Amino acid sequence: MAQDSFMASEINKSFGALSVLMGVSLSIKPGETLGLLGPNGAGKTTFINIVAGYEKQDSGTISINGVNLDGMKPDARARAGVARTFQSGRLFAQLTVAENIALGALGLGASHNEAQERAKNTIDVLGLNSLATAPAATLSHGNARLVGLARAVAAEPKYLIMDEPAAGLNESEVPKLLNALKVIKDRLGCGMFLVEHNVGLVAKACDRVIVLATGILIFDGAPKDALNDAQVKNAYLGDAAFGEMI
Amino acid sequence: MSKVRVEGLTRFKAYEILGPLGVVFVISIGVGLISASLQLAVQFALCNLVMVLALQAFVGNSGVLSFGHASFAMIGAWVSGMSTASERVKGNALALEKLWEPLITWNLNLYTSIFLAMIAGGVVAAIAGAFLMRLNGLAAGIATFAVLGLFYNFFFNNTKIGPGSQALPAVPKFDGVYEPLLLAMIAMILVYGLNVSSIGRKLRATREDLMSAPALGISTQKVRWIAFTLSGTLAGLSGAMYVHVAGTWQVQDYYLVFTFLTLAMLIIGGSASMWGAVAGTLVVTAVGQVLLLWEQGKSILGLRIDLPNGARSMLIAATLVGMLLWRSSGLTQGKEFDPRRKRN
Repeated sequence: MAQDSFMASEINKSFGALSVLMGVSLSIKPGETLGLLGPNGAGKTTFINIVAGYEKQDSGTISINGVNLDGMKPDARARAGVARTFQSGRLFAQLTVAENIALGALGLGASHNEAQERAKNTIDVLGLNSLATAPAATLSHGNARLVGLARAVAAEPKYLIMDEPAAGLNESEVPKLLNALKVIKDRLGCGMFLVEHNVGLVAKACDRVIVLATGILIFDGAPKDALNDAQVKNAYLGDAAFGEMI
Repeated sequence: MSKVRVEGLTRFKAYEILGPLGVVFVISIGVGLISASLQLAVQFALCNLVMVLALQAFVGNSGVLSFGHASFAMIGAWVSGMSTASERVKGNALALEKLWEPLITWNLNLYTSIFLAMIAGGVVAAIAGAFLMRLNGLAAGIATFAVLGLFYNFFFNNTKIGPGSQALPAVPKFDGVYEPLLLAMIAMILVYGLNVSSIGRKLRATREDLMSAPALGISTQKVRWIAFTLSGTLAGLSGAMYVHVAGTWQVQDYYLVFTFLTLAMLIIGGSASMWGAVAGTLVVTAVGQVLLLWEQGKSILGLRIDLPNGARSMLIAATLVGMLLWRSSGLTQGKEFDPRRKRN
């Protein structure tokens, strides 16, 4: 495998007697968008927590562009180029939207002026101008997620990990998110790892999809192939329900 | 798009520092000139102010409660007191008969000793912080309390390095309020500088969300350690000031009462801002002085209320509980000084 990629090799994780991840391996190339699908309890959140350094794997290695991340804390991984978003946004409620986004750059060592400039650019690119001065505490659920994404983007990461960014969004907010993902990909060119329940969003946004079921990777390939894969259909939701989500 | 405003990140505003500096200057000079006893009260208040500022720098910004800062003040006071106390007294006082010989002849001038006290407080805080800053929440608070207990017992039971449970006498005293006032104003500038710096903002991010701050590349342990070291340095300064106001060094002066009083001042004023530290110190000191006079059976502007001994401490404790229950962000609500803000 090429050195210039994000790699997770043979990741295993158990909580007591419960095996959550069993030998999961994947890679993401720069500029590639990889989707991770899986039913509840498949191990998706555990996997991204391991990737971002919030949990330790029992065995296996994580590396970015040939640099081993094992043993690095979340802040060190962020400085190595791995940014993540959270399901609930986790914004700093006392700050405005612009300040939250600027903090994404400031946290990684950017000067105040540089952080301000990056916040401005990110707000422009993601179309958040109308929200820039709003206190984060007043945002809707969907906008909070979008701002959380913008904050991660302001860090200018090499790889961006998104934890179910579409969860809880209404029908009008999903296209907005999809557009934001396309813009980030075009402008930033970072590798993106999209962990999602929304199969339709993953199919539209991702170049490649992997599917986890009960901690085992059961599919790795093109989104259109995943949608027709019998094992995926069976493990995920069943034919009818899976079809309806596309 | 026009320029994005991000002042909430690192916001230097001249009035936020000049206002509190002016308030402290005017009150200190104004009250200190009234009488000798009020001058002494002002001197002690300025010592407490520096300690409360030290606590604000760390506790206020990180959200981690520290009971251990009095130990850094204890060390700073010991360094400054021991190095400036009369050599003749150190060699002859009964309480110091077992004192280690080099300490008897250790002699520095006042300002060198204060500088050394700050270094000592900072170094001890840096060493302790390297271990303690890995902890969060209750564990961190308890661990800092253990540090206080450790140093208290070390000094209380060790008569080779000090007077043990007795007092070290003949420490030179400040002449008037100008010296402690200048030192307190320097401490205010340092703490405000931390609060508006990138480090201060990162530290508050760890206080506000311990999960998302590391995702932004912020090392919780590192930023806390930096603030802990700076606040330990200021606590050392506070101790050094205290010993040159009291004129003696006694380990009991830097233990539970001092810890409780200064934490109460911070919480009552508002722990999230430098102005909160200043306001809390001023209010608690002023109210405390009034209550003290009533405890002593004196009248103030013709008003006399006979209070039992201990009423002052009880009222401060009750106020602390009340603030935590109904106004947990303190009198200043965590805001810096702003003359344009409307009163609530």
